[in-house]
Amino acid sequence: MIEKPTLKSSLKSLLYIAPMMLIITTFNLYPIIRSFLMSFYTDFNIYTQEVNEYGISNFIEVLQDPEFILAIRNTFIFVLGVVPASIIISLGIAVLLNKIKVLSGFFRSIYFLPFVTSTVAISIVWSWIYHSRFGLMNYALGLIGIEPIEFLTDPKYSMLALVIMAIWKGLGFNIILFLVGLNNIDENYYSAAKIDGARGWERFTNITIPLLGPTMFLVSVMGVINSFKVFDEVFALFQSRPGPAGSALTVVYYIFQKFYQESQYGIAAAAGIVLFLIILVFTLIQMAFNKKFVHY
Amino acid sequence: MQVQFKDVTMSYGDKEVLQKISFTIPEGKLVSILGPSGCGKSTTLMLISGLTFPSNGQIFFGDKEVTKYDAVKRKVGMVFQNYALYPHLSVLENIMFPLKMEKMPKKQRQKRALELAQLVQIEDHVDKKPKQLSGGQQQRVAIARALAKEPSILLMDEPLSNLDARLRIEMREEIRRIQQKTGVTTVFVTHDQEEALSISDEVMVLNEGAIQQNSDPITLYKKPKNRFVAQFLGTPIINTIGIEDYPEVLERLNISEEIKQNIETIGLRAEEILTTENKENALFEGIVSHVARVGKDTTVHVKNKEKELVATNLTIIPLEDTEIYLTAQMKDIHFFDHKGQVIEVKEVVMA
Amino acid sequence: MEEIRGKKVPILMKWFKPKTKDKTQLVTVGDKYTRAVAYVLLTIGAFTMLIPFLWMVSTSLKSPAEAVSMPPIWIPKSFKVENFLKAFEVAPFGRYFLNSVLITSLSTIGELLTTILAAFAFAKMQFYGKNLLFTILIATMMVPGELLIIPNYLTISRLGLINTYAAMIVPYVASVFSVFMLKQNFESVPNELYYAAKVDGSSDFKFLWTIMVPLSKSAIVAVSILKIIGSWNAFMWPLIVTNDRMLRPLPVGLQAFTTEAGTQYELLMAASVIVVAPMVIIYLFLQRYIIMGVSKSGLKG
Repeated sequence: MIEKPTLKSSLKSLLYIAPMMLIITTFNLYPIIRSFLMSFYTDFNIYTQEVNEYGISNFIEVLQDPEFILAIRNTFIFVLGVVPASIIISLGIAVLLNKIKVLSGFFRSIYFLPFVTSTVAISIVWSWIYHSRFGLMNYALGLIGIEPIEFLTDPKYSMLALVIMAIWKGLGFNIILFLVGLNNIDENYYSAAKIDGARGWERFTNITIPLLGPTMFLVSVMGVINSFKVFDEVFALFQSRPGPAGSALTVVYYIFQKFYQESQYGIAAAAGIVLFLIILVFTLIQMAFNKKFVHY
Repeated sequence: MQVQFKDVTMSYGDKEVLQKISFTIPEGKLVSILGPSGCGKSTTLMLISGLTFPSNGQIFFGDKEVTKYDAVKRKVGMVFQNYALYPHLSVLENIMFPLKMEKMPKKQRQKRALELAQLVQIEDHVDKKPKQLSGGQQQRVAIARALAKEPSILLMDEPLSNLDARLRIEMREEIRRIQQKTGVTTVFVTHDQEEALSISDEVMVLNEGAIQQNSDPITLYKKPKNRFVAQFLGTPIINTIGIEDYPEVLERLNISEEIKQNIETIGLRAEEILTTENKENALFEGIVSHVARVGKDTTVHVKNKEKELVATNLTIIPLEDTEIYLTAQMKDIHFFDHKGQVIEVKEVVMA
Repeated sequence: MEEIRGKKVPILMKWFKPKTKDKTQLVTVGDKYTRAVAYVLLTIGAFTMLIPFLWMVSTSLKSPAEAVSMPPIWIPKSFKVENFLKAFEVAPFGRYFLNSVLITSLSTIGELLTTILAAFAFAKMQFYGKNLLFTILIATMMVPGELLIIPNYLTISRLGLINTYAAMIVPYVASVFSVFMLKQNFESVPNELYYAAKVDGSSDFKFLWTIMVPLSKSAIVAVSILKIIGSWNAFMWPLIVTNDRMLRPLPVGLQAFTTEAGTQYELLMAASVIVVAPMVIIYLFLQRYIIMGVSKSGLKG
């Protein structure tokens, strides 16, 4: 069935892929190369877009910039705060959803709802919930006897505020993936495990968890990648500032600042490359982990 | 352990899969549950295992009622149709799994699992993952796993259906060997009559949720209780002749008139059909429509009007398109009434 | 995950239908007690998930005094629908809304055109370097989009498109992800159909639009809706390439409104409702496709 490509068929195919390739090349492929090059621009004229000098000083500057170090630190805290908690909660919900029949779709719809909403709009809603005097959160905490917390103005709590909102927003996506994963586990394994004397929790740890390995891997990789790129949430939650006293400055926010507010293109590009490398390394570590523990 | 069903009914919604069935599976025997697909045989197995529960009726293991016990509590061993080996565990870990659930110490677990691996002759592959094994090897692992916790009952759900023909015969004998060596009460579900007849001490034939017959394989074949059993067992399928279309059949049999009235059909196994020279003795006469020779076997098809009889054990090999008279010994003829039940018929000794 | 690739959409949909009622299914549905616990937990969780939405809608209908009352009021005495009108007065939300509609619809239509053509070529046509090109495209999905913003900004400014609708549309009228998803679907359409159409004298182009596209309807709808959601909610890029207030799409306008509205939370929430509501409505009607798209997107990895 497989035909060999010919010159004629290739030319014809070219017509079909040309519009897509034009856009992707201009706005996806070229910029990848260009941003890599830009990170080495040390003397660049933005108006004429002329480069006078290349070097690695951008990287040195970025890596020595305490702001950048702070941004990296905050981003890691964010990733560590969001990803594991989100995985545990969404797995729990997916398992529960899988247990019931009636209303299962209804519940799924509710949990997924935040996914379709504008991050900016919903962050503004959350900033109102976090309001120190009139916010719902402090009211609820007050009911259980906790003093009001300045979520958005106290640097100690800004990350917590961001993490709670991000978990809320991302749950639905993970739940959907876990549901697909759970559905792919053959019912027979559960029957066999029951016969073999495994009780409910033992079946969960011995069958569900290991057989969910590939999904777990997928969810964690996607969660880590997305969390490393957090920006909109910060911008909207803290009203166009990286949190009180820079306490919620993330790597992408740092790039945005350097590029948009300070016009330091080379620095911004170098920070972007560093971010890319961090994500890459994390993905590779997860892949290695996956290969070692998820094999069948 | 002996398994007993008392008036067990199983229904899904409006559909009754099993209708008030009662039976006893004796301890230490290998019993097959045989029937066409959808007859309720897998459901029966699930009910024994405790993976599902009856709508009505009681189930006993020995003297103990276990109707309400779930699979974890019933502690039976089970081999699934697709084996259901845990894909993330090695062969040895699969065999050890039930022991791990019993919280047996690890050393002991390993020792026991290795013994079982030897029993099923899979000891050379214990470190492999199920995916790396052939169908027959997976089957062996599944059996070992099912036997690991020394279950009082071993259940097998169409265990051979995923294997190719040659392997099926090999594994069949293997299962028999293992069963006899361990002496575990075994229930074997299959739709393959040959499998059931060759492997079992007893066969229970199920159809449409009801037990048709429950006996040893030879009785089952020689003395079927009804038309369904007679037709379900044996290849080629038993020849049946309707009295309505061939009234002359009864005239040529020496049986009492009052019994004759109840007979609707007679059945003749292909291998028990004989030829006769004498038209007066013939139960069936017709033209030889086809003679098929495969190796040492010869199958003769004889046709009269719409009816075609198949005979496999004739002493002569007739020519096609010649006329032939067929008969059988009285003891080999099966008589069925209009409900399909067997009628016991004694030959009237002619004065 | 491999075996899922290349399978038909109907097979994908199957995951979300209730499992067939065979004997094993009866076994796995948890017993009554577990199910009761599941319902309780899920209800509590669902309620928690909904609180921000309820709070947003509730506040948007309150009077200024009710908005800041403690303890909080969930149902205002009278619904202040005029908050929405006020929001439209204080900031040009009507204009923002139209901008969003324009940008979203044009980039979605554009993306569908380019990706359907390209996906067809990758799925059914033969050309030199096909596999290499496809691998390169897939590899670009690894790179975070944020990295591309700086060079893309320079490209757009060089093209003189800063502060235009085009700046927000053109870079997004193609997507590797959509090409990938549609290619998988197109591949599941049997080659025999393609050859039969060819024998009947149909051109490739005609085959694509009259047979392939209708057959892949649900996948195309899924891709479109994910695109619409992404485009409607996009924030960083429109923020960067627009200075002109009148060009802003909703999220950028809303963000600016936070400084304009100051502490008038009822107006801020009304504005948030305006941004969030359209996607929620689309979701309620087409969630089947959205969820299908998301689960498939999860499988691309």
